[in-house]
Amino acid sequence: MKQRRSLFLVLAVVVVAAAVWSVVYLSTPRQQTLDQRVQAVASQLKCPICQGESVADSPSLLAQQMRGVIRQQLQEGKSEQEIIQYFVRSYGEQIVWSPPWQGFSLLAWLVPIGLLLAGVVLIYFTLRDWRALSRSVEARGNDRDILNIDEAELEGYRAQLERELAEGDVLFRRYQTEAQ
Amino acid sequence: MYFSDLGSISLILAAGFALYTIIAAVVGAMRHTPALVASAQRGVLVVALLMLLASFALVASFLTHDFGLSYVAQHSSLSMPWYFTAAAFYGGQEGSLLYWALMLSIFSAIFIFTAKRAPAELVPYVAATLMGIEVFFLLMLTTVSNPFARVPVAPADGNGLNPLLMDPGMLVHPPMLLMGYMSFSVPFAFAVAAMITGKLSSEWLRAIRRWTLAAWTIQTVGLVLGAWWAYHVLGWGGYWGWDPVENAALLPWLTSTAFLHSTMVQERRGMLKIWNLALVIASFALSIFGTFEVRSGIISSVHSFAYSDIGIYFLTFLVIVIIFSTGLFLFRLPKLRPEQEFDSVISREGVFLLNNLLLVGIAFATLWGTLFPLISAAIRHQTMTVGPPFYNQVISPLLALLILAMGIGPLLAWRRTSTAALWRNLSVPVIITALCAAALPLLSVTDILATIGFSVCAFTAAAILYELWRGMRVRHSHGEPYVVALYMLFNRYRQRYGGYLVHLGMALLVVGVIGSHFFQIQKDAVLKVGQDMNVAGYRLTFLGNIDDKEQDRESIASQLQTWRDGQLQGYIYPGRTFYRNFNDQPASQISITTFGLTDLYVFLDDWTGAAQATIRVFINPLVPLVWFGGLVMLLGGVICWWPARTRLATARVSKAGRTSETQPSEHGAKGVVV
Repeated sequence: MKQRRSLFLVLAVVVVAAAVWSVVYLSTPRQQTLDQRVQAVASQLKCPICQGESVADSPSLLAQQMRGVIRQQLQEGKSEQEIIQYFVRSYGEQIVWSPPWQGFSLLAWLVPIGLLLAGVVLIYFTLRDWRALSRSVEARGNDRDILNIDEAELEGYRAQLERELAEGDVLFRRYQTEAQ
Repeated sequence: MYFSDLGSISLILAAGFALYTIIAAVVGAMRHTPALVASAQRGVLVVALLMLLASFALVASFLTHDFGLSYVAQHSSLSMPWYFTAAAFYGGQEGSLLYWALMLSIFSAIFIFTAKRAPAELVPYVAATLMGIEVFFLLMLTTVSNPFARVPVAPADGNGLNPLLMDPGMLVHPPMLLMGYMSFSVPFAFAVAAMITGKLSSEWLRAIRRWTLAAWTIQTVGLVLGAWWAYHVLGWGGYWGWDPVENAALLPWLTSTAFLHSTMVQERRGMLKIWNLALVIASFALSIFGTFEVRSGIISSVHSFAYSDIGIYFLTFLVIVIIFSTGLFLFRLPKLRPEQEFDSVISREGVFLLNNLLLVGIAFATLWGTLFPLISAAIRHQTMTVGPPFYNQVISPLLALLILAMGIGPLLAWRRTSTAALWRNLSVPVIITALCAAALPLLSVTDILATIGFSVCAFTAAAILYELWRGMRVRHSHGEPYVVALYMLFNRYRQRYGGYLVHLGMALLVVGVIGSHFFQIQKDAVLKVGQDMNVAGYRLTFLGNIDDKEQDRESIASQLQTWRDGQLQGYIYPGRTFYRNFNDQPASQISITTFGLTDLYVFLDDWTGAAQATIRVFINPLVPLVWFGGLVMLLGGVICWWPARTRLATARVSKAGRTSETQPSEHGAKGVVV
């Protein structure tokens, strides 16, 4: 009963959270300012003369000029992709801060994702094998009756062991009651 | 006779003794000659002594300003303070290799002193493997990368240290990280020994786990210190830039984290043996790769001051290590069968498998991103950049899942968990998470991804704290005050509660990362004397530039007042320092003031005369949590690692005398009381 009550409580809180999120999401302005768009493009380009900084972050003169070019081209109505292509033409592909989702550099993205999915599949099959193994071991054990021990006697020993452990250790007692 | 002669002689002798140790250990183990094995063990200690002597010789050469040594002349000067002069010991390639070899020999000696705890058949092979690695470094140190090489004519003064390294962080970050890399050698040596002898006992597992835990803790500290150094020195407002060298240091950390978790499955259930061995080997190979990558210069990085031409030797060594350990691994594969079976996926084992997949997935994505420019250059002769956006997009979802697993995992029991028990444990954290998710947007955290990230961290932190609280309450209900109950929990179940602490620290660290990633505010301004700039409620008033000339350096500092809510908070002095010999590399003196959990990070970008400055300000929310989380992780790691009480030994003895009961871990300590 208590369990069901807390389930309802959690559900209620989740619903409230979802409601708050959707209200906030709907009320935030979708339209980006020019500054934000410049920033968005500049953060996709690597500052050619810096060590590990994007055009958006770098304080260097060159990056400032590049930000100016981006602003100008955005005002002329060019799309983000066109502007990035413009810089690729003049600086080469290493100007792009992260590999684009096309051509050869697609591999940069797909290989880790593919291997991760392969890992999920591998874990699934490993678990299935382990479970099958445990079933076959159980079946064999029953057939041949290897453990010639009275199950009731064993249960008695088990209970005694748990009792003694619980005497010395209050935490153990807690886990015991929880497991039941 | 110079100190350097002492150093050269020590290195050559150490190489000889290390070679002798390998032969004596292997022959002694194969022929079952205890005397030979004992002699090999003493050989390890002699190597450690000789390495101490060599390191002493190098430090003495630095402190006596023996510029006839080209290494000393290149990395120190007369005007450097003594602590930087001494730390210049590991400031260049030759010295850092010597430091690596020194630490390896010291760790080997510690292993010999504690060898009684390790399975006896393994000891000679562990010693031989460690000395094998040591021989490689000694060969480098005596030939291509000799710190004791002399020049015919000594210059009057040295070059001095690279300005980026003239920082307090330099005193702690490189030695910690090099030590971290090095310390993965010991678990690797244990793995090799186990593969040679075929003895992967539970004793072996305990020994290798403790050494890995030590390595993991050291590497954690090294990584956090590295982030701290970057934050204080580089001036771009961040602490982690997915630089290839940072990535390389993260890789063995990730694989060893995976190992520490999956060994628990092996310990309890006898499964995943093959996988665990593979993780140990991978951690060591990756740490050699990291050492190699910094030196090689094949990938452009902020650590470019470490470039040299010895990369090829490291590559050869790396290839030998991989071939050797893979060969052994395949040779042993038939013997490594799992002992037990699996019951249910919603048990702790299932979460450990998930955790391993995520950690190895993150490690692979990082390695792949680091190497991809090289692959691209090799295949289509086109260099390209794999920058932070790539890592952020690939790794953040994995990290979020990992944090979630960190909260759920400890709540699940081994084998099988009843859904009712799981639900009882989870309901409170879930409610707190949902409240957090609902409250954050109202507190103007409008970014959906940031809200999800914070909520996931809140879940994990709540799950851990709730579990801790329940443990305390149970003990309290048996008459212990809460504080004593807390102490007893940590004292009795060190690994479990130490692990919780590590998870809690990680959650804090990630909260800091999310805060600074999503909510960093940056502003540049050109200021004339008396002018203000306003950033996010802080006001900076520029008062002028101060020029300070000293014998070996010149520093420029801007004086600024910081104001908040109309109150003067203080004066700050962001600046630049030019060292005489490194005029093109000014070091930045970044001013970082912490207000609560927010850093005000001020960087002097440019200046004109005394009356104008270009100031770059970052408001970095929650960054202090990154350092605090790192500290908590260190504490947790140490608690996990800390040896069980010494009473345990007597308890075991008294028990062994009475009954055949063997329950070594937490319950063993009770033997005295009972």
